[in-house]
Amino acid sequence: MGISRRKFIQASAAGTVAASTGFSPLTFASSHDTVKIGMNIPMTGDYAPWGLPGLYGCQIVADNLNASGGVEIGGKKHKIEIVSYDHGYDIEKAVQGYKKMVSQDEADMVMMLGGATVGAVMPWGERKNVFTTTLLCSDITPDTEHLVATCESHPLYVVTGVEWLAKNHPDAKTAVIVTNNDVEYGLQAAATFQAAFEVAGIEVVDMNLHGFDVTDFAPIVSSVLAKNPDIFCMATSFYTTPLMEQLYHQGYKGKVISTTLDYHEEVIAKTSQEFVDGTIHQFPAFDDPKLTEDGINFPDPGGFDAEFRKRHPNDWSAVSWEYPAIMLNWLEGAKAAGSTDSDKVLKALQSNPNPEFVFGGGKWWGKELWGRDNVVIGRWPVVVIEGGKTRIKEFASVSDWLDKHSDVLIKYMKSHGLRTVS
Amino acid sequence: MELFLQSIANGLVQGGFFALFAVGLVLIFGVMGVVNFAHGELVMVGAFTIWLLHAQYGLGYIPAIAVAIVLVTVIGLVMERLLFRPTRADPLAGLICSIGILFILQVIAALIGGDGPSKQVPPPYQGTLVMFESLRIPYQRVFSLAISVAALVSLWFFLTRTRYGWALRAVALDREAAELQGINTNRISMVAIGVGTALAGLAGGLIAPLTNINPHMGHNVIVTAFIVTIVGGVGSLSGAVLAAILYAVFHTLITVYFGATIATISGLVLMVVVLIVKPTGLMGVRVSE
Amino acid sequence: MSSKGGFTMPKLAIGAVALIALLATPHFLGFHHQDLLIFLTINVLAVCSYRLVTLTGEWSLIHAVMMGVGAYTVALSVNHFDLAIWFTLPLAGTAAGLIAALLCFPLLRMTQFYFLIGSFAAGEAIRLTWVEFVGVFGGTSGLRGVEAPVVWGIDFLDPIPYFYFTLVVVGICLLILYRIEHSRIGLTLHAIHWKAPLAESVGVNAWRYRALAFILGSFFVGIAGGLKVHYLGSVTPNQFTIGFMVFILIWVIVGGYNKFYGPVIGVVVLTIFDESIRSFEVIRPAIYGGMLILSILFLPMGLESIPAKLKSWFGSDSASDEQALSDQ
Repeated sequence: MGISRRKFIQASAAGTVAASTGFSPLTFASSHDTVKIGMNIPMTGDYAPWGLPGLYGCQIVADNLNASGGVEIGGKKHKIEIVSYDHGYDIEKAVQGYKKMVSQDEADMVMMLGGATVGAVMPWGERKNVFTTTLLCSDITPDTEHLVATCESHPLYVVTGVEWLAKNHPDAKTAVIVTNNDVEYGLQAAATFQAAFEVAGIEVVDMNLHGFDVTDFAPIVSSVLAKNPDIFCMATSFYTTPLMEQLYHQGYKGKVISTTLDYHEEVIAKTSQEFVDGTIHQFPAFDDPKLTEDGINFPDPGGFDAEFRKRHPNDWSAVSWEYPAIMLNWLEGAKAAGSTDSDKVLKALQSNPNPEFVFGGGKWWGKELWGRDNVVIGRWPVVVIEGGKTRIKEFASVSDWLDKHSDVLIKYMKSHGLRTVS
Repeated sequence: MELFLQSIANGLVQGGFFALFAVGLVLIFGVMGVVNFAHGELVMVGAFTIWLLHAQYGLGYIPAIAVAIVLVTVIGLVMERLLFRPTRADPLAGLICSIGILFILQVIAALIGGDGPSKQVPPPYQGTLVMFESLRIPYQRVFSLAISVAALVSLWFFLTRTRYGWALRAVALDREAAELQGINTNRISMVAIGVGTALAGLAGGLIAPLTNINPHMGHNVIVTAFIVTIVGGVGSLSGAVLAAILYAVFHTLITVYFGATIATISGLVLMVVVLIVKPTGLMGVRVSE
Repeated sequence: MSSKGGFTMPKLAIGAVALIALLATPHFLGFHHQDLLIFLTINVLAVCSYRLVTLTGEWSLIHAVMMGVGAYTVALSVNHFDLAIWFTLPLAGTAAGLIAALLCFPLLRMTQFYFLIGSFAAGEAIRLTWVEFVGVFGGTSGLRGVEAPVVWGIDFLDPIPYFYFTLVVVGICLLILYRIEHSRIGLTLHAIHWKAPLAESVGVNAWRYRALAFILGSFFVGIAGGLKVHYLGSVTPNQFTIGFMVFILIWVIVGGYNKFYGPVIGVVVLTIFDESIRSFEVIRPAIYGGMLILSILFLPMGLESIPAKLKSWFGSDSASDEQALSDQ
């Protein structure tokens, strides 16, 4: 009922608003020969590792495209320009940065990390039809028509890691989960891991959800290790390095699984390569030989990896290639639509039942859980650290698991009080 | 039971670290009447120094700690001379000045090391002391605890066995009376902030290999320091040490059995309870109004 | 000076020009600056209500969290009961006032340093409650989807109408705060600050007046929090950390806390200053910190005292005498 009221007002007031602000929504349709890619992301603070490296990645891809003459959209070559804003994961700053990007910098689309910041910008974004992207599919709601998750569908893909673990280490039967107690990263991932463990016949014997004020992880780790688990699951944690360090010092011998293990070289420096080897996660290095196989939709992954490490030797993280992949995906949509207009690009992308996905096998999904098919799921890699390097073991289908077991996932999401439409 | 023992051990290591910076805060407050909000940032500067000199430029760990102590002490002395001394009449002014310093130190750290992902320092002392199968303490933590204890013992000797120590305690007890006795209170203030900030620098050096280092790490430190200071009794050094250890063990045990956020909330509630029931803290003495 | 002056013609003229300028401002700004203007107006209420709490000479560190109490109250009452803004704003104030009333019992037993730290601890405990109880308060991600109010067909998601609305609400609150300060209550609060033993000896119950100031201050900052969440549509616990509290402190102190309008000057000048140095990004907080230190060292009475200072430097002796008199 709230929605219909808003829709009505929107329609009736749009004219007045445009007149009173001297600002019409049509202004956004860009007339320039540059496409402007907005990045409203955290570059400082706790969340910086999942923002800043993405900006570095996008600059590399944009430089490459510009060097080759730009991107042809609607019969005209366009250069790519990136505009960025650091919101430090503060919702007030996120809203200001978003509005600045769209109205002042005339960004054609805005990429965001996801979570509370996306929730705060979307009411206005929907009003102005801003093509916005997130890495968290849990940001999608029935109202967010212009919000898509076309690359990462956090945390759905973690089911593939658990499947691989169960298949290759059938003796591992018990697991503990230690992760942050925030809703979008920690709890969403914890619920998905719980569901995946249940399907794989692995029992979760303890779970510890902690806040962001923890300075010492020793007590947390010793309390869960007292349950003698076969698997230590970090879900989506901001503190993988100190957790791994504690596991090492407390003599843990079992398997470790995580959504990602960013900066694993640092972890090795704090523990040992022998200890870190065998850790399972989901974010490949881009010099991986398996990424040169057919079906991978990322231009020259090896070259990208080399250039990234040349420019920013220590900054590679899970998102380094993700924002570029989203940007490329949007450019594909703009090419197909022959326009940078949000609705046209969205339509061009969504009219394809098998959308291009970075690891192939893409399909639109999400209605069952969040009320809109605005998430692209597809094949996702399971990686294991071997000899100190991240190596892809296999690509597994996220949608196959969801087709069979989405009810289990919904059950655990509800148990954490997470929003679903079903 | 094993988990309990392991938790006590973890708590003691943490307690030693808490004591180092809480004692510094108490010393500065006691002698100068200033709540140094930038105390957490001084710990951060110490930790950043280790990251820069030891992890980046390969200086030895111990020399890097020495540099951290000297650097942080110098910052403290400059703060006293330029900010706290001119604003002595108004305690609030000192607090606000220290907040200004807090911002400046965070920015300097961000300019040197970047404000992005947290920094890590590989532990100089690898390996783990295994007492028995389920009671293990990494050598790095053993080292940290030993140095904390040594520093606190030296401080105790300094305060009880040296002329400066006596003078310092006299000023903390009653500034005006001490002045009447011919004690140069300005010089004693320099000694107090020198010792207090040196301990913060040392604490930063010890924590560096054990935690995530970033320009904002001082926040969690200062919250803990306040709790410890209040529980121990605002003017009491021995109270601060005792409270640091008790609080660390308390926090560790609650974390293990109930969760980390509950532990922090309980700590804060404990502090409010202490303020109500015994405002002078565990070891505090009533200061005349 | 201003406290006793009547509404003379020049003052009325200045007021009228200022009001027109204020009403016109948003039309010359981009979207993100319009947002900034709204937040600035809300923060004016935050600092003025804080000043009421500090009138007795006690500085609390819980004010930012009280703003959060108001914000969460609004978010919950809109999301669960779909209450209209006429109800949610007073409710936000009442919730913050009630919690303040409860906290009076432990907190007001303390003074000075103890009160500072005690209020900080109580505030942090409330804030961590929002983090811990995910089911009710949404944890670190907070609450979202608070629909912007629609009143008489005006959609308050648009910045300009909402700015005018905020201006009216904040204006009314400031008027009440001003009246309180210049009533018997306000005078008693001043008396407790400067002459506590004397005030007590003539039968003033200092505790009761401190409690009143604390509760009223919290009530108004609760409304400020409510205003914020109605516009932003989301609320998270990290909006109300000690970091934001420090900003309130800075605004009040740099502006000058001896006069009613000092904190207003502080928040307006520093917000504009902060926005003007946005291009410096990384070093911005250091510039802020440096300014803070300089103003404490060289302008202990705050920005508000600059005109008087200038007057005493350049004006006649009689002007400075008059100033000295009115300052007392």
